[in-house]
Amino acid sequence: MKKKIATLEYDGLEDLLGQMARELVTTIEEGNLAHAMELINDLQEARHQVFYNEVGHLTRGLHEAIKAFSSDIDEKILSEESAAQTAMTDASERLSYVIELTEKNSHETMDRVDRSLTLVDRLDGQSERFRDLLLLVGQLEGEFKALDGVYDRTCTVKNESEKTIEELRSTLTEILVSQSVQDITGQLIRRVITLMTQVESQLVKLMDMAAKVERLTGIEMGQAPEGDEAKDDAIRAQGPQLKKKEASAVGNQDDVDELLSSLGF
Amino acid sequence: MPGGLCLVKKDIRILVVDDFSTMRRIIKNLLRDLGFTNVEEADDGKTALPILKQGRIEFLITDWNMPGMTGIDLLKTVRADPELSHIPVLMVTAEAKREQIIAAAQAGVNGYVIKPFTAVVLKEKIEKIFERIT
Repeated sequence: MKKKIATLEYDGLEDLLGQMARELVTTIEEGNLAHAMELINDLQEARHQVFYNEVGHLTRGLHEAIKAFSSDIDEKILSEESAAQTAMTDASERLSYVIELTEKNSHETMDRVDRSLTLVDRLDGQSERFRDLLLLVGQLEGEFKALDGVYDRTCTVKNESEKTIEELRSTLTEILVSQSVQDITGQLIRRVITLMTQVESQLVKLMDMAAKVERLTGIEMGQAPEGDEAKDDAIRAQGPQLKKKEASAVGNQDDVDELLSSLGF
Repeated sequence: MPGGLCLVKKDIRILVVDDFSTMRRIIKNLLRDLGFTNVEEADDGKTALPILKQGRIEFLITDWNMPGMTGIDLLKTVRADPELSHIPVLMVTAEAKREQIIAAAQAGVNGYVIKPFTAVVLKEKIEKIFERIT
């Protein structure tokens, strides 16, 4: 029985308790009180041992996970010296790089939009000059029969072209405003970076705790059970998650306006 | 251009506060479209305050979520300062929780635009604020 208790796992606890309880009842019925007390002691110890063994598993698992994690970090430090590209194995760094990249790209797009808007302004200016020429055609129309109707037709074209310029201008403004997505994604990424930094520091604290437990229990860290893959997954599962829409969040600008007007705005 | 903005002096000094330069630039360009060219920038509440305290800013547009000092704290500080409390404040932010909008309203915000926004919405809110103060 003692040996059984020493290696007791959580899964076997109920069976063992049942078995011991039945034995206890029989022993008491037989009047063997001394043995009954012994059994109660064993029951106590079984409870203890299960906790103890589970903490041992936890510590061992944690230790392995942290070892895998720190070897990731070590790899990064080593490679940083050799190649700039592999230096970005650190997820936080990579995410910061995404923000940097999208920001740069947004500005480049906006540079082009600005340049295009200048071109649109120039078209507008040309349109003005065109108007002057058109007036001249209007004056000549009366004198030259061949020009009959040309003024009206040219006017139509000019009006269409002015509309096109206006449309172009508003489309360019839309492109400009759509760059705001960089701000939104950037904010989301920053949140994930914060989360990862927290996970990292919590992990270090856990490692410290695990080391203490190790000293107290004397559990061998070398005997890590199979299934390291699963532990790796546990570490790598900290990927970014899309923030689900919170229940209390309003949907769009109309909702905001409605809420504000209900507040007397 | 709608009537509301025609009455507003175009040379008023506007401060745009956002930690993302992309967003500052977008707002600045939209303001330029509306005829406002006198625009200053700051990247959070902390850098905005010294500019505000110089005393020439007449309109403040701010984000909410910024490192250092947030937009809501900036709004509260502005409202608590007798020198600055008169400045109209428009909040342009991705924060869209009811409680946040209510908190901003209680802190004395003049308008609230959620990101992502359209040029039309931003212009409309700016016009509305100027309509009220003129």
